[in-house]
Amino acid sequence: MKFYLIGDEDALLGFAMVGVEGVLARSAGEASQALTQVLDDPDVGIILINERIATLIREQVDQFVFKREFPLILEIPDRKGRMENRKSLRDLVNDAIGIKL
Amino acid sequence: MAVRKGIAPTKTNLIKLKGELKFARQGYELLDQKRNILINELLNLVDLAVENELRAFAALDAAYVSLEMSSRDIGKLSVQSLVGAIKINSEMNIKQRRVMGVRLPLVKTEFEDFPPYVSPDGLSLHIPDAIENFKKALKILGELAEFKVSIMRLAQEVKKTIRKVNALEKIAIPELMETVGFIRNRLEENERDSFVLMKMIKQRMEEAKADEWSD
Repeated sequence: MKFYLIGDEDALLGFAMVGVEGVLARSAGEASQALTQVLDDPDVGIILINERIATLIREQVDQFVFKREFPLILEIPDRKGRMENRKSLRDLVNDAIGIKL
Repeated sequence: MAVRKGIAPTKTNLIKLKGELKFARQGYELLDQKRNILINELLNLVDLAVENELRAFAALDAAYVSLEMSSRDIGKLSVQSLVGAIKINSEMNIKQRRVMGVRLPLVKTEFEDFPPYVSPDGLSLHIPDAIENFKKALKILGELAEFKVSIMRLAQEVKKTIRKVNALEKIAIPELMETVGFIRNRLEENERDSFVLMKMIKQRMEEAKADEWSD
């Protein structure tokens, strides 16, 4: 199975070096369309998506993280580094189960 | 606490409810164990994932930097055309493991290399760096995806289990206990009633007999 990237130009260029295909997304519409399309591809195992782009289609992304077995979706930082005030993993878990770990 | 409504205080119902109570207690114990196991697993994974996340993003950062250095050296366009010449296939396998019925992914990333990628002549030194760094980043990202998705699914399951445990502990079991107590009281009350009744009848019969003799 393969990785697939929905991201900006820099990320696409970099990951293309190691054989990861991807598509450029600059708007919510493009990102949403790209995500829907790649979800239908049985050969894609992990979708990497730039944080800033994932934020544009937050609902759609979250829905798939919980409901679908495949593919796995992972948000990664872009060239400018991590987004500020982004929730940490622990916060995500706390939110999800409503208890403190 | 409430007694279950619409249940006649009979012996049959008492036996039935006692059975239900036992079953509910067993269920509670099992779910409690499941909850503890899941939370344990979750805690382990979160620790691993937090560490992994840091490593992944550091690797990615390094990769972006070396990419930018190459772009500065020879221009973005040349880098782009070079990328077309590099032949590396990234493949990964996703297997599954199960924890208490929750399916968690296991990711393994492999690369198929065909070096040398490009002629070193007139190129930036940073290109091989960038390739190495991106390879490293991708591998760690694969692991991170595994952790993150596992954590999400486990958390979801923990939430469900906690809800079930609480429902049993705070509602179902107390209600059953109350109902069993209520029926038991009523049955004892009835028994005392009929005991008194018997005594009275006996007394009257004896009185009647005594009357007969005196006649």
